[in-house]
Amino acid sequence: MVDIVPLSSYPSYIDLLPSIQTCNITNLPENYFLKYYLYHALTWPQLSFVAVVRPRGGYKSSSTAIAGNVAGEYPKVVGYVLAKMEEEPTDGLQHGHITSLSVMRTHRRLGIAERLMRMSQRAMAESHRAHFVSLHVRMSNVAALRLYRDTLGFEVEKIENGYYADGEDAYAMHLNLQNMWLDWKAIEKRDAENNKEKNGEEGNEDEGEEVGDLGKKDAEKMIRVKVGRGLGVGDLVEKNESKA
Amino acid sequence: MPETLSSKDHSLFRQVVHHFEMKQYKKGIKTADQVLRKNPKHGDTQAMKALNMSQIGQLEEAFALAKTALQNDMKSHITWHVYGLLLRQEKNYEEAIKAYRFALRLEPESQPIQRDLALLQMQMRDYQGYIRSRSAMLQTRPGFRQNWTALAIAHHLAGDLAEAEKVLTTYEDTLKGATPHVADMENSEAILYKNTIIAETGNVERALEHLEAVGYRCTDVLAVMEMKADYLLRLDRKAEAEAAYTALLERNPDNSIYYNGLIKAKAIPESDHKALKALYDEWVEKNPRCDAARRIPLDFLEGEDFKQAADAYMQRMLKKGVPSLFVNIKQLYGNPAKRDMVQELVEGYLSVKATNGSAESNGDNNEFLSCTYYFLAQHYNYHLSRNLPKAMENVEKAIELSPKAVEYQMTKARIWKHYGNPGKAAEEMEKARLLDEKDRHINTKAAKYVLRNNDNEKALELMSKFTRNETVGGTLGDLHEMQCTWFLTEDAEAFLRQKKLGLALKRFHSVNNIFDTWQEDQFDFHGFSLRKGMIRAYVDMVRWEDRLREHPFYTRMAIGAVKAHLLLHDQPDLVHGPMPSGINGLDSTDENQRKKALKKAKKEQQRLEKVESDKRAARKAAAANAKGADGETKKEDSDPLGNTLVQTQDPLKDAMKFLTPLLRSSPQNIEAQCLGFEVYSRQNKHLLAVKCLVAAHSIDPSNPTLHLQLLRFRKSLESLAEPLPEKIDEVVNAEFDKLLPKTQNLEEWNESYLSANKGSVAHVQAGLSGRQFLSPESKPQCEQDLLTTLDSPDITIDEATAALDILNRWGSDKAAYAEKAGKKWPESSVFELN
Repeated sequence: MVDIVPLSSYPSYIDLLPSIQTCNITNLPENYFLKYYLYHALTWPQLSFVAVVRPRGGYKSSSTAIAGNVAGEYPKVVGYVLAKMEEEPTDGLQHGHITSLSVMRTHRRLGIAERLMRMSQRAMAESHRAHFVSLHVRMSNVAALRLYRDTLGFEVEKIENGYYADGEDAYAMHLNLQNMWLDWKAIEKRDAENNKEKNGEEGNEDEGEEVGDLGKKDAEKMIRVKVGRGLGVGDLVEKNESKA
Repeated sequence: MPETLSSKDHSLFRQVVHHFEMKQYKKGIKTADQVLRKNPKHGDTQAMKALNMSQIGQLEEAFALAKTALQNDMKSHITWHVYGLLLRQEKNYEEAIKAYRFALRLEPESQPIQRDLALLQMQMRDYQGYIRSRSAMLQTRPGFRQNWTALAIAHHLAGDLAEAEKVLTTYEDTLKGATPHVADMENSEAILYKNTIIAETGNVERALEHLEAVGYRCTDVLAVMEMKADYLLRLDRKAEAEAAYTALLERNPDNSIYYNGLIKAKAIPESDHKALKALYDEWVEKNPRCDAARRIPLDFLEGEDFKQAADAYMQRMLKKGVPSLFVNIKQLYGNPAKRDMVQELVEGYLSVKATNGSAESNGDNNEFLSCTYYFLAQHYNYHLSRNLPKAMENVEKAIELSPKAVEYQMTKARIWKHYGNPGKAAEEMEKARLLDEKDRHINTKAAKYVLRNNDNEKALELMSKFTRNETVGGTLGDLHEMQCTWFLTEDAEAFLRQKKLGLALKRFHSVNNIFDTWQEDQFDFHGFSLRKGMIRAYVDMVRWEDRLREHPFYTRMAIGAVKAHLLLHDQPDLVHGPMPSGINGLDSTDENQRKKALKKAKKEQQRLEKVESDKRAARKAAAANAKGADGETKKEDSDPLGNTLVQTQDPLKDAMKFLTPLLRSSPQNIEAQCLGFEVYSRQNKHLLAVKCLVAAHSIDPSNPTLHLQLLRFRKSLESLAEPLPEKIDEVVNAEFDKLLPKTQNLEEWNESYLSANKGSVAHVQAGLSGRQFLSPESKPQCEQDLLTTLDSPDITIDEATAALDILNRWGSDKAAYAEKAGKKWPESSVFELN
């Protein structure tokens, strides 16, 4: 029995990071330091998911005082999807990217990869308003191609020659996600209603100004931080607070 | 007095700082030299030069210069700050904090120093210090939300939930009702963070209220739904909880926790199988492709209901040709009735199909058949339903039908493993690998099986098919860089089995270093996560780092490392490499024989060193300028064979590096406690030794290893070379008396252990060891009794293999035992003595 659970949102299964890394290096030639997984988990905690074998008799600490606390549990990891948002989209469109997806050979054809993908896709659309999700797949990987194209509806965008370290070509694929976007208008409407109610109650006419600028950082400069390896990962860009 | 700079030199100095910030370290050093030519004792310039040097791998020289800088200018915040930064790079955090504090005293307004200090306090979990730093930073720049959030985190982690919440609310109030945009993720996350803090206070009611007021505008929709469902259930608001769990299942029907929540919300009693099954059936209908709703009912259904449901479930999967069926079924085998029913059902499919298989097209039927054979092969290979000849028979039939199926061939290898024949198992796994050479999973398995067969070299060669071998250190270098803990641990264990302790220690240390790196990895996120605003994930990460070494990967490695150190302590000759067994045994008094073996071991060691240095030379020639993945030039390992580790003066002291975190992180692991006893008793640390015994006793009072240790400890207390200090003696005796009273006749105690546990071979072995220990003259009888355990219907091949070690410890001849065991397990190789 396999459960699909979030990696680092709620409840957090972040204890499983070493197991996820092992799952990756067991199955795939493209590997990363643990810090690269951490980077994903802490930058886009909503987007990555894990497939774990449910322990016999369930999770022991599911009834502790802290809601959703699964700390210190180490169920077997049989699959994961590691996902991110593209940091510098060339076309300016917010979009997600699947960094890595793998399911253990022993747990194939149970629909695990599909579920992992669907969870991640939805989170990209809801949390980050991603226009689409992109990924790369080896041209020889028929099973994965079938999943992405036939089951999930991805389209081949282009072929990237020699994408993989061993020289194999990749299909660059993508899938539109706009149909799963949250209805911001509805949220804003509810905001307005709430504000009205509050103001009415308090007899306060203060509408409040846009404070969108509050909390913005001062002049930022970019530094390049390398925390991963493998083609398609490249150097990660992170923004650094000015040292002023 | 510190030198003062001319205005020209001062602007040069500013350039040095600028170069450093732009990461132009070489330019920075050059410019600093320009200043220093005229002002050779200018502390600040020296410090900045040192800082630049530290970034290009000259940490040692940088340190020397930074110290000089400090001597030249003790009153400069720059010299202190740089000194602190270098200490931090060296991971000397405590001293670094002190240096930062000095710097801050000299320049209380400096933001960078304050920030660097705060980051380290966080890393060191100096929460009170962190609270002070964060309060100061907030006061300087209250306009930044992250400064508020940071202070809240500080209070939260320090355990002051109320204060943490107050800080967050204070910031929210500064917004004066202006609602941040929906897309403001920092805001969305801060709201949810505040909600988790409220929930942690235990006031679920208030947490729910807060969530309902603000959750609708948080974009992590799934998290909000999970939190809400959990709160509702805990508040026993059943109808709403039911709706909440239903909504979660509609998003993700593959999560058993949601079904559990839904069932609790609907108050369906655990015993009402009919209602439960109906609930799951409903979800099957909604999600025909979902496995969970089909599979979970098999957990609770019994008898005929179980049989029907299992039949439907398995037939469907087998017809679809799903190879993963068995991994989903085996969890049921804790219940023997279910196990037997599954066996009966699946065996039944074969007989039916054999007679009327012609109805379907041959191809489909073949897939069904091969899947069924494959299922049965795994079934009879599984420890709770093991019948290896039947397993082999079924796997052969499956392979015959689908000779290219990697899984089938893999299972054949596993069967050989359980036959106790690691050589044959590795051979069969290699055949599986050859069926799909581009698949890393099967390559991994093949390497693992080769390691279990103690062939480290071949394993590395297999691994090299998927590593970047141009990395410094070749394949192994890449495996280190990619933190491939499973391989390093298995490699270490294989070396340990072969008593190649230098290499074993080398690998164990590598894994230990990887855990150190993982702990270090969090450092960058103390600042990063505040900027990103993903606070919940950050706090979870901090807490996880605090229990990092509870991970089973660490436990396993640490246990192996402690064993290796113990072995080295007990058999110091192993420093020169493996010696034939028996030479070091208690009985061996033949000094000549020992010398001969030692000479041989030393010669082998020299040969290995030569091989290794040749390899290194070859790699050097091949890649004169090899660089690591991060662009740094990496140095070759100067001690690839682990000689410095194995040549230690004090193996027990070295073992503490592993034992201390092991006992701290996994106190409930009985093997760890028993190993703790072994180390402490050899160090004559009686108090700590007895503490481990007490802990082990509370986990499992009749544990076989513990049993023998209790006897040994009682005996050792009786024959101390010099009496223990009075106070220690008092505590040790008081504690130990609870486990094994002084007045107890040990022989009787041991015999009663034997008769109470005669059903378990492992316990009987321990009892016999106890008897042999208490009265060495009983050895022949003990050997005879040990031989008799081979007639037990329950004895496993692992237990029989363990008996060989026991005979070793007794200094007995193993031939008779090995011969009988070899006959009992004719396919095995582990009883072939050489």
